[in-house]
Amino acid sequence: MGWLNSHLLTAVIFLPFFWGLIGLLIPTSGKGGVGTLKIWTFLGGLITFVISCLLYTRFNALGDEFQLKEAATWIPALGVSYQLGMDGISLWLVILTTFLTPLVILGSFDAVKERVREYYFLLLVLETGMLGAFLALDVFLFYVFWEAMLIPMYFLIGIWGGKDRVYAAMKFFLYTVVGSLLMLVAIFYLAYQHKVQFGSFSTAIVDLYRLKIAGGDSYTSPQMWLFMAFALAFAIKVPLFPFHTWLPDAHVQAPTAGSVILAGVLLKLGGYGFIRFAFPLFPDAVMKIQHPFLVLGTIAIVYGAWVATVQPDIKKLVAYSSVSHMGYVMLGLFSLNTVGAMGSIYQMLNHGISTGALFLLVGVIYERRHTREISEFGGISKVMPLFAVAFLIITLSSVALPGTNGFVGEFLILLGAWKANPGLTAISATGVIFGAVYMLWMFQRVMFGPVKKEENKKLKDLNFREVAVLTPLVVASIVMGIVPNFFFSKMEPSVQKFLARAKATSPMETAVASVSTLQKGDR
Amino acid sequence: MNTYSLIKPELLMLTKEQMFSLMPYFYMFVGALFTIILSVNKKLSPKWTVFLVSLATCLVGISTSVARLKIDTLTLFNGMMISDTYSHLFNIIFIVSAGLTILSSFRYLDKEGLQHPEYNVLILLAALGMMLMTSSMDLIVLFISLEIMSLSVYVLVGFRRADRRSNEAAMKYFILGSAASAVLLYGTALLYGATGKTQIHDIYTFIQTHPQSMSPVFVLGAWLVILGFLFKVASVPFHMWMPDVYEGAPAPITGFMTTGLKAAAFAAFLRVFVSLGYGSVLSETIQTHLHHILWVCAVLTMVVGNVVALTQTNLKRMLAYSSIAHTGYLLIGLLAGPKSDQGYSPMIVYLVSYAVMNLGAFGVLTLISTRDDGGLNLNDVSGLSRRHPWLAFSMAVFLFSMAGVPPTAGFLAKYLLFYSAVQANELPIVIIGVLCSAVSVYYYLRVLVYMYMKEPQGSPMKSGFSVWPSFVVAAMVFLTLQIGLIPGGILTVARKAMAAL
Repeated sequence: MGWLNSHLLTAVIFLPFFWGLIGLLIPTSGKGGVGTLKIWTFLGGLITFVISCLLYTRFNALGDEFQLKEAATWIPALGVSYQLGMDGISLWLVILTTFLTPLVILGSFDAVKERVREYYFLLLVLETGMLGAFLALDVFLFYVFWEAMLIPMYFLIGIWGGKDRVYAAMKFFLYTVVGSLLMLVAIFYLAYQHKVQFGSFSTAIVDLYRLKIAGGDSYTSPQMWLFMAFALAFAIKVPLFPFHTWLPDAHVQAPTAGSVILAGVLLKLGGYGFIRFAFPLFPDAVMKIQHPFLVLGTIAIVYGAWVATVQPDIKKLVAYSSVSHMGYVMLGLFSLNTVGAMGSIYQMLNHGISTGALFLLVGVIYERRHTREISEFGGISKVMPLFAVAFLIITLSSVALPGTNGFVGEFLILLGAWKANPGLTAISATGVIFGAVYMLWMFQRVMFGPVKKEENKKLKDLNFREVAVLTPLVVASIVMGIVPNFFFSKMEPSVQKFLARAKATSPMETAVASVSTLQKGDR
Repeated sequence: MNTYSLIKPELLMLTKEQMFSLMPYFYMFVGALFTIILSVNKKLSPKWTVFLVSLATCLVGISTSVARLKIDTLTLFNGMMISDTYSHLFNIIFIVSAGLTILSSFRYLDKEGLQHPEYNVLILLAALGMMLMTSSMDLIVLFISLEIMSLSVYVLVGFRRADRRSNEAAMKYFILGSAASAVLLYGTALLYGATGKTQIHDIYTFIQTHPQSMSPVFVLGAWLVILGFLFKVASVPFHMWMPDVYEGAPAPITGFMTTGLKAAAFAAFLRVFVSLGYGSVLSETIQTHLHHILWVCAVLTMVVGNVVALTQTNLKRMLAYSSIAHTGYLLIGLLAGPKSDQGYSPMIVYLVSYAVMNLGAFGVLTLISTRDDGGLNLNDVSGLSRRHPWLAFSMAVFLFSMAGVPPTAGFLAKYLLFYSAVQANELPIVIIGVLCSAVSVYYYLRVLVYMYMKEPQGSPMKSGFSVWPSFVVAAMVFLTLQIGLIPGGILTVARKAMAAL
């Protein structure tokens, strides 16, 4: 236990991987073999979640910036070390990951019938990759996890996906690789700068934070180039307009589990990358380029909402709604104040919960009807009441109804963005309205009205397993809407520190008070 | 006449240490001779005896080379050869790739009805040629060892006598290779004419003592030597032989060529380059001149290799173009070496990693190929993951490694290489390089698409399981991941080898 206590993060990261390796040994040909494998995988996801809850109890919000740190030498010749650590931001993203993974595993029990063994193995490998990327405190290590994660996702989309899965998988992989390779060049440069300034190679983040890179008020400074290299990689992942085109393809073609993980966690890695790397490393560049990025965020919000409105396919609609929601995240981050940043991180969690749930719901209905066309449905609420209730709550959370998680996030983001750029905030706020338009209109067409199609009359309502998958998500979206302070209290000091680094040139904001008042108002 | 008086008989006497460091070459030579004798002894079933003896030779060769990794640099034969960590590290690469090629060819030769003992003899001789090439410090010795290697490989390429493609490849390779050897030899002759020396060290001293007297003859000679080497490493625009030869040669031999031959060409190139004072004593003008040549060649090689590979449907041909692309990356290493902290060690790591993943990939191809090297088109590997899950998995590991995706050897090697280039302030070529490797991801992944995401087409091919190639593939998978995750050992050795150079 002693080892486990001091290596909790390593345990969380690699548990799914080794669990999956053992799962590969379970014979699936015999009777009950597949069942055993499913239960085994689900247990793995659950245990990882339990351990990550331990992280919550161990984390002291008022303590050091990075906690539960682990460090070991890895490749000394390159200054690369195995360093892990967690702050209040990665804590929640880790919990989001471990929370979604078991649900996704449970959710694919019926959907996946082919190559079951590989499927569950890849899901667990993917979890390891994501957790590693959130917890790495070394750029090299981060990069390894960040890229290695692509492999399972590529196979998940490409093997178990829809009709155009190969195209979507390839597009997903190539888009991400192009972005991250340029980031790699920037990483080389940073590591080398560390050698120039401090006499030794290093890729540890805390070391790189100390670097002084020429910045200033310029679009062509080294800081700006480096920031752009990092930002491209992360903006593709987020995805920020105009780098979003891989997302609808990947989402629509991916199997349900793939879409949930993609929307729920992978996109968050983009936002997380900005928070952990791009902002603190290049504060001058961020200050300089703040407004162009706010514009892109605004475009993403409004454009995503408009395009979502006209989609005939439910899954595609949800995919474009992701573009819109992630636009809010970028808007909040680039407002560069505590309210905006808190809102934006909160929005990442919300989006993980509610969009994840939406994809699962779409998956439920797709398994029954093998279509996702909105026009194929109508009056579903009469035949599937339980399904309708879950769908309604999640839809409302997605349109940010007060009392749900979406409201807290979007409200804080708009509040923060107002301080940075009132004009753009006004435009972004229309996204809230369009958001209600496309979600509710879709809900109405699918759920209400007469049951026109013969096939729809005999649809079975949610079974016990599906209820078990959706209940935690529904509960989470309400809890997050009612007691946001539970989440904020752990992340706020970390956000302060992050902003202090990101705005190394300007005095710290004193917006903490306003956040606390808001939370009280919410209750 | 003056030259003759310089050769002193007592210098040809070998001390104990010198004998010791010559042993790997000696064993390989004796092994090759012994296998020739065995191959005519029909009573003892040459198929098995030659196979076993050549494997034993490789094992002895590897262990003797490993034992010599740590010894100090020794000059041999009046300075014509050198024995240092660098040469012995490369000896290991050559002998390992020869041994693994022999292993994975065993069933292949049965299948093709080509079970002739000469095959193994030629591989051993080629390996010996490579070993001598890397350790030679004299342009004449270099040329002779290059020819030992090339002549053996010419025959091996045409080993599938009944196949037209194999014959064509051998012929093409022979003619173009001979032309390149002639160019190299002519360059050597001109250098001799300009300096009166053939030993690299003497030429180095000459340049040092006569910095101003760069006669046109010398420059032309140097140019021709460089051209010869650029041909051997298949840099664009001297790459045209490679795809045809790779496609026509028997699959295991193609694997041997991508690993052994390429490493040998690069090792000798690097040795000559560095020993002639590249990055140190050569004058500023020559340095920049060389830099520009290499820069242009590297960019062209990367772009042409990667872009043409996009359209290939034959796996061997695709890997040939990818091999050209990797030559381009390696040239970046050559370019950046003098100005970065790591020196040329990234190149060594890259060559080792590349050898590992290619031996593995060609091991897989050898296993799945049908008679006459058929069944190596993209369509033929459709649904391979269902027929041979482990082979498909191994191939996936090698392809991800070639594409430079972590956590594989290929990623680490690329990381090091580009990292050292950034240190050398070669940012533009690094950006071109990473974009090219983004392009390469497409054609590597396309193979995966066929293996994993398409249903098997036609009747499943019969390719029997055979234990030796499978062993090779499994070992290479292990090494690919090991170098990718725990690269400490290989980095240290590479650094040591560089220090010796």
